[in-house]
Amino acid sequence: MTTTKAILSGASRAPAENAATMPRSQPRKDTRNQFFTFRGTLSKRAQILTAAFTSLFVLGLWELSTRLGWINATFLPPPSVTIETLWNMILHKNLLWHAGVSTLRIWVAFSIAVVMAIPIGIAMSSFRGVGAALEPIVDFIRYLPVPALVPLTIIWFGVGETTKIFLLWLGTFFQLVLLVADDMRRVPQEYVEISYTVGARPPQMLSDVAFRAMLPSLFDNLRITLGWCWTYLIIAEIVAANNGLGFVIWAARRYMNTSEVMAGVVTIGLIGLVTDQILRLVHKRLFRYL
Amino acid sequence: MAPAPYLEFDGVAKYFGDLEVVAPFFNLNIKRNEFVVFLGPSGSGKTTLMRMVGGLETPSYGEIRLHGQPIGAPDRERGMVFQSYSSFPWLTVAENVAYGMKYRLDLTPERKKARLDHYLELVGLTDFADFYPNKVSGGMRQRIAIARTLAAGSEVLLMDEPFGALDAQRREGLQIELRRIHRQDAKTIIFVTHDVDEAVFLADRIIVFSKRPARMLQDIDISAELGPDRTLELRDSETFFKLRTRILKFVREATGAEEKV
Repeated sequence: MTTTKAILSGASRAPAENAATMPRSQPRKDTRNQFFTFRGTLSKRAQILTAAFTSLFVLGLWELSTRLGWINATFLPPPSVTIETLWNMILHKNLLWHAGVSTLRIWVAFSIAVVMAIPIGIAMSSFRGVGAALEPIVDFIRYLPVPALVPLTIIWFGVGETTKIFLLWLGTFFQLVLLVADDMRRVPQEYVEISYTVGARPPQMLSDVAFRAMLPSLFDNLRITLGWCWTYLIIAEIVAANNGLGFVIWAARRYMNTSEVMAGVVTIGLIGLVTDQILRLVHKRLFRYL
Repeated sequence: MAPAPYLEFDGVAKYFGDLEVVAPFFNLNIKRNEFVVFLGPSGSGKTTLMRMVGGLETPSYGEIRLHGQPIGAPDRERGMVFQSYSSFPWLTVAENVAYGMKYRLDLTPERKKARLDHYLELVGLTDFADFYPNKVSGGMRQRIAIARTLAAGSEVLLMDEPFGALDAQRREGLQIELRRIHRQDAKTIIFVTHDVDEAVFLADRIIVFSKRPARMLQDIDISAELGPDRTLELRDSETFFKLRTRILKFVREATGAEEKV
């Protein structure tokens, strides 16, 4: 029953084709929420409420399980304790400064990866020769576990900033370069040919059309790989570091200070959540035409 | 010596590796401002022949000449209109049309603006100039593409089933529009389709192709019978109907005969 209605209501919405030519009459709004209809519709409000509900439910369960003694709080500090610790760390242990240091490292490493991956990735899918030359190397390195390269990295670069940036870059660049190559590969051939048949030279076609066409998906891939970059933070910052979130977490672990470990982890999660939401918003603004 | 034909296919054949796409040897002369329809089954080599005129493919044998000059790399004198992805989604309607002139250094900005307005008007998109393509109909997106090639100054329009993705009503409307545009702003048009009705309605001249490898089976000039004005009434006329039946027979024979081989 619900399914039939969903199909009918989907069909009754004015087709996008006519949106411009037809006078804008009151669109019929379907406000019914379909929680478990395949590809059904769900209002923004219902989505937010659902998300809030499950988040609170998990937090509540977590809190309860330690309060009631199901789980030893030493191993899994409850949310209340974590938040309290977080607050104390901000006040007395320079947590925000550590977070800033980590964020800076991430952005430096990520920027280097991006600046390198975009031209190399584009070249790899645009020119068969470059692709053939680099693809085996990239594919090989891409599969190497970053932690396994820590000892070598220390031998090469010592224990300073370079090592940390290099490890973060290592985890990001080789993934990103293939994603960039793929974005370029997916630019429709028609766009390329339109460009040539109005008189563009290959460099003009690349910058005015092909690059422009791949931008939305490129931006998406940058957002996703930025997230991956954060996942290498601990590995990068346990190497003789004395600052950064990775260091905070690793140091707290040594003293079995689980609530501080948890607070550090939560901080990373929060930074990720906020960054991602901001980038999504920017994407929406930049690519209104989609 | 007779003057060189306007557009000339001279002993053309095309292979993709071992695959024979255009059978040896294809010869055809096209007059300036002629509206030629390449009609044939899908997947025959007719699109490839058209793409060779665009410079997007090169003949394996023979040569294609425009004004007696062999065709080389793609150039704005030969514009393409595709069935899909025919306009850039990140540019507005006006910007898409103006893109046709982007690499023209011979036009002043004022001249470009004037041409832009002219061609937007010609294809009936003036009121939609600031819309993005995702906000206009599929038919309008094809008009954008036509206006872009005209603005670019193309002499030859190469159209690859441009109305193939449109519904019947829009398709009919655009066919009438295209004939009107052809009359107002005379260009040589090569139009590829597998739709007999469309071919008869649009063409001055229809080339019927076999299945792959493409071979010319018929070369029918219908301009005398149908005249330059193509209207909805013409579509319902006896002349149109007879022509359509005749050509449909050719197409059926073509595919049928090939099937037995």
